[in-house]
Amino acid sequence: MRSITLVASCLAALSSFVTAELNLSQPLRSKQVLSSAFKPPQVFKNANLVRTTNLDKAFPRETINVVIENIDTKPQSEYYLPFETSLISKVGGLEASDKKNPNLGAFKVEVVGFEEASSTEFYLIHLPKPLAPKEQQTLSITYSILSTLSPVPATIAQSEKQYVQYTFSAYTPSAYTTDKQKTKVKFPNGDIPDYTTLPADVNAENKADPQKQGSTFTYGPYEKIPAGAEQEVSVRYEFTKPLTHASLLERDIEVSHWGGNLAVEERYWLQNLGAKLKNHFSRVEWQKSSYMSPPTSALKALNLPLNPGALNPYFTDDIGNVSTSRFRPGKREALLELKPRYPVFGGWKYSFRVGWDANLSSYLRKVAGGDSYVLKVPFLEGPRQPEGIEYARVNLRVILPEGATNVKYSTVVPVIDSDTTLHRTFMDTIGRTTLSLTAINIVDDFRDRDLIVTYDYPWTAGFRKPVVITLGMFAIFATVWVVGSLDTSIGKKKTA
Amino acid sequence: MAVAESESVFTPATSRNTRGMLRVIILALIAAAAVSSRLFSVIRFESIIHEFDPWFNFRATKYLVQNGFYSFWDWFDDRTWHPLGRVTGGTLYPGLMVTSGVIYHALRFLTLPVDIRNICVLLAPGFSGLTALATYLLTSEMVTSPSAGLLAAAFMGITPGYISRSVAGSYDNEAIAIFLLVFTFFLWIKAVKNGSMFWGALTALFYGYMVSAWGGYVFITNLLPLHAFVLICMGRYSARLYVSYTSWYALGTLASMQIPFVGFLPIRSSEHMSSLGVFGLIQLVAFVDYVRAQLPSKQFQTLLRAIVLFVFVVAFGGLVLLTVSGVIAPWTGRFYSLWDTGYAKIHIPIIASVSEHQPTAWPAFFFDLSMMIWLFPAGVYMCFKRLTDEQVFIVIYAVLASYFAGVMVRLMLTLTPIVCVASAMAFSQILDTYLDTKTPKVDSKETGSSDAAKVAAAAVLPDGLRSTRKPVVGIYSYASKLTVVGASAVYLLLFVLHCTWVTSNAYSSPSVVLASRLPDGSQHIIDDYREAYYWLRQNTPDNAKIMSWWDYGYQIGGMADRPTLVDNNTWNNTHIATVGKAMSSREEVSYPIMRQHEVDYVLVVFGGLLGYSGDDINKFLWMVRIAEGIWPEEVKERNFFTPRGEYRVDEEATPTMKNSLMYKMSYYNYNSLFPAGQAQDRVRGARLPAQGPELSTIEEAFTSENWIIRIYKVKDLDNFGRDHQSATSFEKGHKKKRTAKRKGPRVLRVD
Repeated sequence: MRSITLVASCLAALSSFVTAELNLSQPLRSKQVLSSAFKPPQVFKNANLVRTTNLDKAFPRETINVVIENIDTKPQSEYYLPFETSLISKVGGLEASDKKNPNLGAFKVEVVGFEEASSTEFYLIHLPKPLAPKEQQTLSITYSILSTLSPVPATIAQSEKQYVQYTFSAYTPSAYTTDKQKTKVKFPNGDIPDYTTLPADVNAENKADPQKQGSTFTYGPYEKIPAGAEQEVSVRYEFTKPLTHASLLERDIEVSHWGGNLAVEERYWLQNLGAKLKNHFSRVEWQKSSYMSPPTSALKALNLPLNPGALNPYFTDDIGNVSTSRFRPGKREALLELKPRYPVFGGWKYSFRVGWDANLSSYLRKVAGGDSYVLKVPFLEGPRQPEGIEYARVNLRVILPEGATNVKYSTVVPVIDSDTTLHRTFMDTIGRTTLSLTAINIVDDFRDRDLIVTYDYPWTAGFRKPVVITLGMFAIFATVWVVGSLDTSIGKKKTA
Repeated sequence: MAVAESESVFTPATSRNTRGMLRVIILALIAAAAVSSRLFSVIRFESIIHEFDPWFNFRATKYLVQNGFYSFWDWFDDRTWHPLGRVTGGTLYPGLMVTSGVIYHALRFLTLPVDIRNICVLLAPGFSGLTALATYLLTSEMVTSPSAGLLAAAFMGITPGYISRSVAGSYDNEAIAIFLLVFTFFLWIKAVKNGSMFWGALTALFYGYMVSAWGGYVFITNLLPLHAFVLICMGRYSARLYVSYTSWYALGTLASMQIPFVGFLPIRSSEHMSSLGVFGLIQLVAFVDYVRAQLPSKQFQTLLRAIVLFVFVVAFGGLVLLTVSGVIAPWTGRFYSLWDTGYAKIHIPIIASVSEHQPTAWPAFFFDLSMMIWLFPAGVYMCFKRLTDEQVFIVIYAVLASYFAGVMVRLMLTLTPIVCVASAMAFSQILDTYLDTKTPKVDSKETGSSDAAKVAAAAVLPDGLRSTRKPVVGIYSYASKLTVVGASAVYLLLFVLHCTWVTSNAYSSPSVVLASRLPDGSQHIIDDYREAYYWLRQNTPDNAKIMSWWDYGYQIGGMADRPTLVDNNTWNNTHIATVGKAMSSREEVSYPIMRQHEVDYVLVVFGGLLGYSGDDINKFLWMVRIAEGIWPEEVKERNFFTPRGEYRVDEEATPTMKNSLMYKMSYYNYNSLFPAGQAQDRVRGARLPAQGPELSTIEEAFTSENWIIRIYKVKDLDNFGRDHQSATSFEKGHKKKRTAKRKGPRVLRVD
């Protein structure tokens, strides 16, 4: 059965290979469109802003803690956050919340664009409660920027250290005047050969800019920075780890009430965005260095933690099973250790497919009274790497049993598209109800976010398939009997 | 056997149904055993396509499934034989792919989304179950004993001779062709026995299917006419034979001509002329037969016979003349090598270089057929005893197939069905005789005063054979029954044991994936082929041309999905020789060849680190020979041997060997794995020169984990217009060798 499911998904994968090849430069995204003359109304000011740029992982993670103040006369609730157009398509997982009152949860966030091409686009943060005039509120905005680190030098020798460069604005881009601000840059280590130094007179305290403390640099503080001001700085630091980028992840979760099984399959199209090899790959060097296992810019292994109770894992690619995997079932979590067929160096690609089964009862609840069910699954599982993985696009399909209706979902992962369709496999007559969700620019910090799906599934629907198959068999027998009893012989029948 | 024993238990009326039921159950079990004994490789490894040719068939099937039948029929493949391409749709036997395609679409229709790969992998085992059934039918036509058919089916199901070509994953033409072969023969026998046009037409239909599936259809094309011819010569011409032969020939030939790859061959090539000749002959014989029935004059008959002979001679002479003048294609090289086993090695090295085209070593018969090899002659002998029309067929088939199986290893496959049938007949004879629970009643008198009829019969029949003198009476003693039945049971058990052992150990390796045992007994999989092919697939441009020896062409096409220069189709010997020349020449010679063929990557197989003996250095002499066939001036096999005639790779290797591209690619950088001067080639057991080879026109791009596959990138032209040798030496810091102008002796200038 498992192999057949595998097969089914292989076929589905075939079609999606095509989409993976397409480079979606303009990602699909719900957008509020503004006229080109629009400027954010100057109703706020940033009283104090601290931005923390964390460069531990293969993608910069920004946290902006900002105290905003309403300087208008009316209560305001729309806070604009500007990004360059080239950057906004790389920003992922932007979330805003109240720093002082985390119970409020994540605020509603949406992207606004302009009718005509513009160099700036905005994220619009809706405050849940309009901020009264002269009032202050502390926002905490977090986001990651994908595929923005560029390896410098772009080609390195096989066992050389890799350096990456990150370019950003020392003044945090804002649509409002910022009274006081600073930017902390946290590096993964102290090896930072190049960074932009700004003249000391820009700095509010007239100190050398940036200030260095171990592996943390601080740009600023700066005072009275007008809206839209930018000061480009770039830092180059050692990062001898793969820059793992999944151009597409397709994730299928199939619910089977009859089998009590939850089958998960994930198809990855990975790429290492790190520095390319200066010469070609040398096996001798690789084998020699593998005894010491020094840090390398190549992707050697992926560790996929699964929920406890995962069964029958498989790891295949286009040409069959990849024999270099290991599965460690465990009480707390089951670990699937994957090794690609070859070390994935910068510029190389590797696409593969993993899947496993799990007992449905730990994911599915029946709502007391009635035919409703609640399914709670992780939105994203994926490998857990110290350097992180970024996903340019995630297509999640939840395949519910045939006859499931009234499908609703909720998740805290920013989903840009959702659809409910039918998916016909394995002797389905009408097809299984399928919920498709699409998210873009997701990073592996979103691993533990849940997706909750509720649906109605009357018990009669479960008997559709057995009844159809039984009727089909009877129909075949009846046809055979009728055809068999026909007399097609030519000429007179001999009577014995 | 159960059937035989149960006979006495039931009354005749009920036992007929019960026996029928039992027979169906036994046949179903045999089919199940046949399928399951072929699944070793799936269980041990995975559901994967094996070896070389199946990868092409798999790729073609995928193309068929994705693009539909008509574009498959017109498929021009520009990703093989670069830059020539291949008219694939017109140069393959489409039966196999179409069969899988039909199964695939039927399952799709039932909304069973089974992957095409799994259909391809399991097609051969599935059809082997059908082959067992067809063997049962064929055998049942030969003898009256029902146990013979069941035994034959069981033999056919598990005999290694057939399993060798039909394990799961061995997705080759033979997978379905053997079923079609046996079934066509069954239908033919049925047609001859009944003289039925219906069965003759069915024979033609399945013959057409067979033609679409395998080049071995020529075997049927010649065997059926031979059968008819022998029957005519034996004076057994009958209207039954006429009806069945003519309906088969007319419809079958038309059907076979529908396959583009066959086309007009049935009327133009020598291999098919025997069936045409017999078709003509049978018309004459029929005519004579008709006339004889009308005119009973003896002289007239003699005259007629002379005419028949004359016509036959004239027709045959015409045939020879047409062949000589070239209207009818002469015999192909592969066919000649059937008569002269040394022919291919001299004239067409490319055929001889394939191991399955070698003559069979005698242990192979025991290996593939086990005890059947000695039961088989007994069965054939039994056929001689009775010699009905269908048993003549067995005899002819046995003689021909035995010969062919001795000439070429792969033709063991055509021998296997008849061996199963004949030995099942012999074995069932033993069992039927000895398993009878009834003790024969002692006749009143054994010798002496027998009745008059017996005496008369003895007088008429030649008394050379004891069996004709004394009809079978049966066995009296239980002890002898037990002994013989016990011995037979032991033989059968040993047979099963042998078959399982051979299947499991010899025929169930995918050869794409190698297995080895770790010291703790666990299985370790060596997956270098797929590692390298997948690297090519993921990290090279979609149209990067890969040059490799032709063995790996299909695999590169199937797994790496990249264009290749040559592949296992081997239709263009010159192109293969070009690759052979590039591999066996110096870099300066190879580089222009590779540039001209737009080669981006070169792939070699090297087993020196692991001790994997099927590598390119061991195949290298074939490359040299094939290249020498085209360029005898530039590539000489002799230069690859030391003066003492040894083929060496170590310090003693000849300069030609050491400078050849293949040698350099295999051993490049290899000695840096070892301490200085200790580099060891584990296949050839040779210590390599301390100084490893150096490459200037190509550079190492990828080497798999165990060094089995090494991929090199062909360098682009040098930016400064230097040749690569001087560019490399410049980068290494060597001084440019100044071609010192040799000044002549000073000459006194005389004005």
